[in-house]
This record gives sequence, structure tokens and C-alpha cells, in this order.
Amino acid sequence: MNQQFEYINPQSLDEAVKLAGQGSVYAGGTDLLGLMKNDIAHPQRLVNLKALPELKAVERQKGKGLRLGALVTLNELAENEMLQKDFPAISQAAGSAASPQLRNVGTLGGNLCQRPRCWYFRGDFDCLRKGGATCFAMDGENKYHCVVGGDGCYIVHPSDMAVALLALEAKLEIYGPGGQRLLPISHFYVLPEDDPTVETVLQPGEIITSVIVPEQPVGSRSVFVKFRERSAWDFAVVSVAAALQVQNGAISGGKIALGGVAPVPWLDKKLNNTLAGTALDENGINKIAASALTDAEPLEQNGYKVILARNMIKGVLQSLAG
Amino acid sequence: MADKKVIKSRYFFEEDFEEQLAEVPAEKVAAWDKKAKLKIVGKGVDRYDAYDKVSGTARYTFDIQLPHMAYAKTLRCPYAHACIKSIDVSQAEKMPGVLAVLTADNAPKIKWYRGTSYLFDRHLRYAGDEVACVAAKSERIAAQALKKIKVEYEVLPFVADAGKAMQPDAPKLYENGNIAGGKPSVYERGNADEGFNRADVVVEETFDTQVVVHNPTEPHCSVVNWDGDKLTVWDSTQSVFGVRNALADSLDIPANHVRVIKKYMGGGFGSKLAAGKYTIMAALLARTIGRPVKISMDREEMNLAVGNRPDSVQKLKFGAKKDGTLLAMSHYSYGAAGAYPSGAGCSWPLRSIYKCPNVRTEEYTVFINAGPGRPFRAPGHVQGTFALEAMIDTMAEKTGMDPLDFRLKNYSEIDPVSGQPYTTKRLREAYEAGAKAIGWENRNKKPGSDSGVIKRGLGMASQIWWGGGGPPTYANLKMNRDGSVEVLCGTQDIGTGTYTILAQVAAEVLELPMDKVSVILGDTAVTPYAHGSGGSVTAPSTTPAVRHAAELMKEKLIGYAAAQMNLPPERIAYRSGELVDRDNPAQKMSVSALMRKVREQVLVTTGMREANPEGYAVNTFGAQFAEVEVHTDTGKIVVKRIVAAHDIGRTLNRKLLENQFEGGIMQGIGFALMEERVIDRNTGKVLTTNLENYKMTLLPDMPEIEVIIVSDADPLLNNTGVKGIGEPAHIPTAAAIANAVYNATGVRFKSLPLTPDKVLQGLYGGVKQG
Amino acid sequence: MAEKDISRRIFIKRLGTGVAGSGLALSQLSAAVSAGKDDDAGEKAPKDQVLLQLTVNGKAVRLHIPASLTLAELLRDRLNLSGTKVVCNHGECGACTVLLDGKAVYSCHILALDAAGKEVLTVEGLLKGEELHPLQEAFVKEDGLQCGFCTPGQIMSAYALLKQKPHPTPDDIREGMAGNLCRCGAYPKIAQSVLAAAKSNARAER
Ligand SMILES: Cc1cc2nc3c(=O)[nH]c(=O)nc-3n(C[C@H](O)[C@H](O)[C@H](O)COP(=O)(O)OP(=O)(O)OC[C@H]3O[C@@H](n4cnc5c(N)ncnc54)[C@H](O)[C@@H]3O)c2cc1C
Ligand code: SF4
Ligand code: FES
Ligand code: FES
Repeated sequence: MNQQFEYINPQSLDEAVKLAGQGSVYAGGTDLLGLMKNDIAHPQRLVNLKALPELKAVERQKGKGLRLGALVTLNELAENEMLQKDFPAISQAAGSAASPQLRNVGTLGGNLCQRPRCWYFRGDFDCLRKGGATCFAMDGENKYHCVVGGDGCYIVHPSDMAVALLALEAKLEIYGPGGQRLLPISHFYVLPEDDPTVETVLQPGEIITSVIVPEQPVGSRSVFVKFRERSAWDFAVVSVAAALQVQNGAISGGKIALGGVAPVPWLDKKLNNTLAGTALDENGINKIAASALTDAEPLEQNGYKVILARNMIKGVLQSLAG
Repeated sequence: MADKKVIKSRYFFEEDFEEQLAEVPAEKVAAWDKKAKLKIVGKGVDRYDAYDKVSGTARYTFDIQLPHMAYAKTLRCPYAHACIKSIDVSQAEKMPGVLAVLTADNAPKIKWYRGTSYLFDRHLRYAGDEVACVAAKSERIAAQALKKIKVEYEVLPFVADAGKAMQPDAPKLYENGNIAGGKPSVYERGNADEGFNRADVVVEETFDTQVVVHNPTEPHCSVVNWDGDKLTVWDSTQSVFGVRNALADSLDIPANHVRVIKKYMGGGFGSKLAAGKYTIMAALLARTIGRPVKISMDREEMNLAVGNRPDSVQKLKFGAKKDGTLLAMSHYSYGAAGAYPSGAGCSWPLRSIYKCPNVRTEEYTVFINAGPGRPFRAPGHVQGTFALEAMIDTMAEKTGMDPLDFRLKNYSEIDPVSGQPYTTKRLREAYEAGAKAIGWENRNKKPGSDSGVIKRGLGMASQIWWGGGGPPTYANLKMNRDGSVEVLCGTQDIGTGTYTILAQVAAEVLELPMDKVSVILGDTAVTPYAHGSGGSVTAPSTTPAVRHAAELMKEKLIGYAAAQMNLPPERIAYRSGELVDRDNPAQKMSVSALMRKVREQVLVTTGMREANPEGYAVNTFGAQFAEVEVHTDTGKIVVKRIVAAHDIGRTLNRKLLENQFEGGIMQGIGFALMEERVIDRNTGKVLTTNLENYKMTLLPDMPEIEVIIVSDADPLLNNTGVKGIGEPAHIPTAAAIANAVYNATGVRFKSLPLTPDKVLQGLYGGVKQG
Repeated sequence: MAEKDISRRIFIKRLGTGVAGSGLALSQLSAAVSAGKDDDAGEKAPKDQVLLQLTVNGKAVRLHIPASLTLAELLRDRLNLSGTKVVCNHGECGACTVLLDGKAVYSCHILALDAAGKEVLTVEGLLKGEELHPLQEAFVKEDGLQCGFCTPGQIMSAYALLKQKPHPTPDDIREGMAGNLCRCGAYPKIAQSVLAAAKSNARAER
């Protein structure tokens, strides 16, 4: 890497926040180092969050739900037996990301804040998201790009964790110069129509300290399914996370979130409106799947994602019905 | 046995028929009998260099550090097509730690790419073409300096698609246009049109295949060091002699001033057969700055600038009688060579596997503004076999025949191109063994008839390749005073196990334990000539030369023993490392006892690869059978099993052989399902410049693999009876997978790779398009 | 020579500026590049260097580095441990896999400073003197390699896997080794090597 920067181990969260104002928060570094190697990020200072052990806890308190420290690694999430049992979507999402070695290093907070993988963005193209004038993907090579929600920029959000957490209606605890705030993950990500140069609402100096996942109602089931082209390193072509309550063979509540289809982890309105009250039989499942991505506007090379997403939704619902 | 003669040697190397003068033994060493009971050859002995590699002590070129070494990095053109108007290196040169900068302004005008261009050319024909090269105290400084070089480009219109490049109004890469040689390469036998007229069934289809990139793990790299006016180069190369010649010619220095060494090497697959510009640039820089220089490509450069397998568009037309007899085949194709000369033809399998009287092929190699092609594991054959074998399956279906029966119906007992008999051909046996192992009878009689979301299918494909090798190839053998042996040969082990098999052959002949034999390869200063490591010629060229050298050594030892024991040489026999009086077996001497009488002398023999037999065609054959699952909900194809049944002559080492086959199959899966260099159509720049986007097969993507060898040996070909395996292993895999996908789904996918998006589009038809 | 700009004269003038003789054995040459020193040795350590202390293969290491140095660069360029390979330099191939406090990581894709105070184990660290570790032995016996360039990374991944799961199923191996590319395709034999090593583990335990 050809950059010079200082590397600081903060003594406290407050110090980290203060230092991060003129630098970058640095967790596992698996994304940030890639951005630096590719000349996309040029931080003058890395504030090493790994120096803060308080961000590494996984806690569950009766009534309050689950609190996952931002520095918990993906492998810790994947291998946590309590999560596997009660929040399988979380451990499944964590276990399907990247590769074993990256999961040993990459953290939850970093995963949520990673930048997009669009090959123009990562490559030597001065595109809209990097402050340039145009999007190269729009009429370029776009088979991995979004089918919905793109406007000027057609990235898909790369985080698997975000999709699972969105279905589970998680909240993010954010600490910054202005103190602490709690934000539903559904409000965390930014669509290109609002600002094509950032993916999240995080302000300079703000740090995600933990993720709060509400205790799921009794009878809930969650699942995360990811389709990727090969067995490691591949980001989701499409992913589906479902956290649903089922009563008497019909869905009574919950959400389905989609990954790989939109610039942000996607809660398809029509799809989610179709869930409650629909029976988990063949007809019901077909009806739900068909309600997904009805407003999709695929680009030239990614129309297949709509079929894929609907088929995967079917598969997920069948597994929950079975 | 020691007499020799010079012949005109001709054999296939990669896709070219090479002819050269070669010295060969006047009298051939009798080939090992097919049933010969060999003690070491044929056994799965451990890889000779395994210790070095598993312990981390093997020093690859990439690992070499010399005292005072400088590092070089290359500035590459960011545009698909451009001219350099001016270059300003002053800012870069001023940087502390920068030692020298080479550009078209100050570099010697060295011709490159077969004289079509220069080491540094002002006309840049692809995004990645070399613009400047910086030597600095560290690789980081060199990389930073690249950013300080100011280049003013005149950006030119580009074309990055072979079909478009053939149009008359396309931007031109060369004055003479974009078609290499200005015309297609045409092959004809019989009269194809007449054949089609007589045919009951005529089918015409168009197929296409993608560009794939070799991506060996060790990057292309060199370390160069001048000692006075003598140059030593460590290079990650498949051809030490090729690199030496390129250096001597480019730098205009005598060949004996250049020594090229390659010891361990992290793969090449054809991309390291030719010398690279980087080696010459490093040598020039090292000469200027008076320090050793290391240059290695990063992964982006590996994906831009050091070779690829050309793509293809192939139009095939086949005609057959109702009973399945092939009457005529025609093949029209074009493929992108990239920006500089290389071959994109792919009709050889069609010309040469099946019996068919009327064949016409017409192939265009087209220049486009993209990285140049280089031979990649069976050039032309992999893409050609995919289209050919799909057509064969289609013809079988149209004539109501089993695909295997159709192939047998059109089986050729002689080489249809030359009309000559084969030294051996066991393709029939391969078909039988493969079909039995895969359970061919279980395929869907009606393609696509498997019910359920996951559809299973079986498919097969045939393989033909040359891989017989030939002279000139030499090996020296040294016998030391303690009876230990050194084999020296100018070939290189690129991961294929050459060290091991040569040691096995020497140990076999001299009846020595393996650890008494050491092997030195790939050093132009000490090893006699052998061919570049490609074309699957290494084993069939080098093992007979080593065997010859070892037999000569035996003869020599008998002569020494005769003198020592005061007996006529005929009385002496060589048995288990001992020299024995035939008439009085109690009177004997061990080799080491004899060698002690030779004192400090080292006995040396030179073995030669014998001439290939006159009047024969030499080919390897095989058939691969694939079982796949097609997930019709996601479009994912999972390869469950591959059975590879091949005729490759003698097996030298079962363990190494299986490994080669598994590797070839693994790369075939990648070609069939996921590998693809993607170029942005609007800028002509490569998007797949890293290993996340350039997708290669991983362990969990691997099927169960069964390797069946149906040959015992090819004693007509050479004294070890060996043919090559590297390329044969890889050729039919993708075709077999594609045919299995058809059997599973009933949908014929004609475009590789078979990625989920294409599969879904094929299965669901009218996907909504934006 | 006529049309070439770099003249023989300049080139000869430069001779003898410390270029090593090519007659020297390579091992001697590389041994001469001693740990911790690089080209700038002798010059004062630039101000943007920081002190790093860690343990590598059981030995305490203490040196000054720029913050931007990756762990792989530290191992290969500073400590001369070239068993660890770099293939992609981007966390996308596994060739650089080492153990950091017992866990497999890509050394090309973390900073050397991330290893401060920690323990690093590389392929060289598995050797006992010249003796191979049973896992390395298994790779020899099963031929779990071809060109060998990915092999140190494969072995370190396998080592981490067996540490966590001494008795892995074939599926555990496929998943655990998924983050290591082998372009030669030695995968089946790599998997067999890991399985064989696990079996000999099991035997040793009994
Ligand atoms: C080859 C490869 C394949 C991958 N495949 C997948 C995949 O399939 N699925 C997937 O989901 N991910 C994938 N990833 C991404 C990987 O999971 C993330 O890189 C990782 O989780 C990020 O964690 P980190 O701790 O390393 O983040 P870092 O690189 O340290 O940080 C990433 C970004 O987040 C910021 N940040 C980090 N922590 C915080 C915090 N607590 N608060 C605020 N900001 C913070 C940093 O400033 C930085 O901008 C892949 C990455 C690679 C390199
Ligand atoms: S999709 Fe977004 S990130 Fe990609 S090229 Fe377009 S603007 Fe840039
Ligand atoms: S070199 Fe580190 S992962 Fe490829
Ligand atoms: S052995 Fe060559 S890359 Fe794995």
C-alpha cells in the first residue's frame, strides 16, 4: 500500500470519537484496506477500534433482546450457538460472507459500513459515486447491479449482515460527537436519489457501538439464504432474509428483506404487505413470491435477478412451511 | 547406442507444426515392453520437490532477494487505444529513492510482438500496454513514482470485440487492418457442399466462448543481475532457453553472456512460454543503475497484460446420413488475438477426431484493443471441442442415436487429416471404460425429462491432442564417485512433476534408490537444451532422453568394470546397482566401489530423445463423462462427478498423474461455469482485474473425480512409451459439462460460461429486460 | 547496439557498484539480506516509523516499521520468511494465510500493526528443525500440491481447521478450506491430505 497514515489505539470510546473526526474508524480493516489499496480511501489516520474491548460483547437480556457489539467478528456470530438456535438468520448471514479467514477478522460494524463492490467503483473509473460525472454501469456491464431503487447509481449494497438484521428489525446504537443515538437499520442506508456518494447516514466521527436485535415473538422463525456464484468470496447475487411468525399454517407477522437487488438492503413494500394473513401453502407461497419486485426496472444484463429473487423467496417460504 | 545422427524433426507444439534440426541416437533404445515389470516408473512415489514446497523453504523467483536489489514497476496505458504525445518523467525522477525511469523517449528501440511493435511503443493498443518502467529502492517508491509520470495521450477510437473489429469501418489497430495475415486460415478436404447436399440431416448452429485468463498463482516475475557484462536472470518461465534468446537478441549481447535460471515456479499454463517485456525492462534498468532489479506483476497486471485464451464465435454446419454417418462438416470461426499477434483458431478437433470425408474450416484471428492472447492449456482445442461435441450430440439426437453410439459410428481408425495410422489409439476403450464408470445408461433418454427443481443429467465429450513430443531434447547424466547421480535437463518443472518423473526414470534404469538421484532443471548455463514446458511434450520428450543417458551410463560403467575386473565387457552385467561377471556371479562390484576406482572423475553421458517413427500420427485421446445438477430455481450448475478415461501411453507416476488430471478438470469446470474476462464495452477497459471478479473454481466447487487410464504404453513413439497429459486432461471437461446440462434441461446453451444468469434466461425465456 | 540509447560505456562505468557476483549461491545471497534491515539501513529510520513488537514462530520480534506495512510484507520483506506467499494482495486467494493468535488470517490484508503483541505462526514455524510437521508430511504423502505456490497458505488453513476441528468431516474440510485458491487444482489431493492428517491425529490420540 502506498499511503501514509497514523495508526492510533484509542484508550476510550470518547477518544475514538474525537480522533475519528479527522480520520477513519478502523475495525478489521478487510474493507478499508481494500479501498486504500485501490486508491479510493486515503485516510490520514486510522483509529483502531480493536483497542476497545467493550465493543466485543454478545449479550442477551430478558426483554431487551440481543446486543451485538460492533467489533464481534463474523465468525464469532456464525459460530455462536445461541444465535444459531434463536437467531439463525444472523449466524447464517455471517457464515455465508466472504471466506473463513476474512470472517476471522471482519467485524459486524465494518460489515454494515463496507462500501459497494461495483467493479467500476472499485476500479479505475471516476464514476458518480466517487464524485465523477457519470455512472458507467447504467449502460455498461451491469449483471451484478441493482434492479430496483437505482437512480443515477446502480450499486447493490454488499452487506449480508444488513439484510438479515433488516428482516429482524434491528436497531443500531451509534455514538458520536453529539452523543448516542438509536437508529432502526431501515433508516441507516441512503438511496442514490438522496446522495449517490454515501451509503449510510453515518456522520464523521460517528461509530456504531452495537446492534440491538429485538427478541422475536414466540413462534417466530428466521432464515437467511444467499445465492452466490461460487462458494467463497462471492457477494450475494441475491439474498433473502425472512423473520416470520407463522400461526395455523399462515403468516401472522414479520418481514422479508432482500439483498443484491437494490442500493440498500431492501424491504419490498408490496411483498411485505402480502405476507400477513397469507397461508404457507403452494398458492400462498406463489402469491407472495409474485408480489416481490413488481416495480423492478432491470438494466440490460440483470433481468434474471427478478426471477432469482422470486424463486429464492419461494424456497425460503417452503423451508419455513416444512 | 552412443552413435548419433542429425534429422529434420517435425512435431506439434501447441497448435504449431514445428520443424527443426535435431541430433538423435542412430540406434533407438528398445522401448520398455508394455508388460515390463518396472520397479519405480509407474509407482506413486512422492513428489521430488514436495519437502521444499510444504516446508516453505522453496525459493521461487518471487521470493528472491539480492543485496542492494532495486524494484521495478510498470506504468500502463489507461486507455484502450491511444498514442503518446509526450511523457514527462521529471517529477518522478526527482523523488527520493527513484533510480531510473525508462520510456519510449530513452529506451532502446527493441522490436517486440514479432516485430509489430516495440518494447516501448508510442502507439498503445490496449488498456494495459506498457508506457514506462521505474526502478526504485523499494516497490512502494516505484509505485508512487508511477503516479508522478505525466503522460499526454491522444486517445484513439477503439474496438474491443472481434466481430466488430472485422467490420470495414472499425477502428484499425494496424495499417493492414484487424484481420491477422489479412485473410482467414482455411482447411479443406473433400467437398463439404457436396456432402451437405447428400446428407439426410443437416444442422447449423453458432456457439461462442469467452476470454479466460491463466492467472497462475506466482506472478510473472524476474530478478536480473549483471556481473560485468554477464547477465543472470531468475525468471518464472516455462522456457529458460526462450527467455535467454529474447534477452540476447533484445539487448544485443552474446547468448553465452546470458544465464537464465528457473527452479521452483508457481504455475504458467502457457502464459509463461514466451519471454515477457518486463524481463527486458528489468535488465535495461539494472544495467543503467548498476544494481540487481526485481520486477513482478501484480494481480491486476496478471489479468491485463500477460496473456489469455482468445474468445471464439463458431458457426458449425454438420450433415449426416440417416444412419448417423457423418458426411460433411464446416466450421467458420473468428476469435480475438488481442492487440498483438497470437492464434485464435479452434478447428483442429473438428478436423481430426471423427471420420468425415468432407470438411471445410475457415478461421479468422482478429486484432482488438485488449491484452494479447497466449497459448493457454490446449490452445484452440478447449473452445473447439465445446462446439464440436455439442454438435455431435445434436446430430446424434437428430438421427435418433445414443451420443456414444454416434461417436463410435464415426470412429476413425486412422488420422483423417494425414491419412496415417496412429502409433496407438485407445479412444474406443476410453469410451467403454468411461461409460461404464459413470453409468451412461442412467442418463435421461429424453433430455430435460428429469423432474423436480434440481435436474440431473449426464454428458460426455471426446478429446484429441498431440502431446507426443520429439527431438531435439537432451539430458546429461552425471555419476559421482559415491554412486550418486545427477540428471541435468533444460526443461522446467512448472508444477507438473518433471523433477520427479526424470528422477524415477534414472533410478529405474540404474536400479538406484530415488534419493541417490538429484535433478537439475531449467538453467541455461548448466542444463542441455530441452523444449519449453508446453504442448504436453515434456514427459514424452524428456523421459526418453533421460532413459537414453542412463542406459549409456550403464554401458559406460560396464566398460569401466571390464577394465577393472580384466574381463571383456560382454562378460559384465549390470544388476541392481552392481557390476556382475555373468559367468561367475560371485565376482562383482558395486557401483560405488567401482566409482572409487574412477577417483575424482565424474562420469558424464548425454542422452537424446530419439526420432519419432516415420509415417505415423501421434495423438493422445480420451473421453470425459460429466454428471451435473442444474438448479432450475437459481440457475446454478453443480458438477457432481467427472469420469476421465484417457489414452496417454505409459503412466509414470499415478499420484502425479491424478493430480494433473484433477487440475485440468478443475480448470475445465472454471471455463464451463464461471471464468470470464469482462471488458467494459464503453471504455474498452478490463473490469475483472482481481480475484473477486475473475472467478476461479474453489475446493467446494469440485466434483468427485475418477481417472481411468486405458493405455499401457506407446512403445512405437519413444523408449519410455509415454505421451503427455497436461492438456488432454483439460480439453473435454467443459464440453462434457455442457452436454450434461443439455441432458438435464433439454435446453442447449451455446455460450460459455454457463453462468446462472444465462441459465435462468435460457430456462425462463423472456426475462424482462430494461 | 547502434540504435540503443543506453550505451555500453555508461553501463561499464556502473560496474562494481556492489552488484553481487552471480557465482554466489542463491541461499547465501538471500541470507545476506538480514532481517529488519532494508535498503535504507544505515540511513536513520524515517520519522513516520513506529515500533512493533510481536511474536513470530515463537520468537520475539521488535522493529520499526511504517504503519502501512502489511503483515505479509513484514514477514516476507523484513523477516525473510518467504514461505508465506502473496498472490492477490487483496484478501481474495488465501496464499498468504498465517495464524494470528491461533486463527487463520490473510496476512496481506491486515496491517503488521494489527499483530502487535500477538503471536504469528507461519509455515516455517511448523517445522521442528528440519523435520516436517505431520500435516506437512501428509501433504507430501498425498501429493496435496502441484506448483506449490498456494501450498503454505493451504497448510496454514488446514492447520487452523484441524486445531478447531481435530476430526473434520469432508464437508468441514470443504468449508474450512474454501478461502484458499489453488490454480493448479490440487484440491482433491489437498482435501485428502487434510483428511489423512486428521486420521493420523486420531491415531496419535489413541
Ligand atoms: C474478498 C472479500 C469478500 C467479501 N465477501 C463478503 C460477502 O460475501 N458478504 C458480506 O457481507 N461481506 C463480504 N465482504 C466484506 C467483509 O465482510 C467486510 O469487509 C467486513 O465485514 C468488514 O469488517 P471490518 O471490520 O474488516 O471493516 P473495516 O474494513 O475495518 O471497516 C469497513 C468500513 O466500516 C467503517 N467501520 C468499521 N467499523 C465501524 C463501526 N463500528 N462504526 C462505524 N464505522 C465503522 C470503517 O471506517 C470502514 O469505512 C467481503 C470482503 C472481501 C475483502
Ligand atoms: S453503479 Fe454507482 S458505483 Fe457503480 S459506476 Fe455507477 S455510479 Fe459508480
Ligand atoms: S495474497 Fe493474501 S489473500 Fe491473496
Ligand atoms: S499448487 Fe499451484 S496453485 Fe496450488
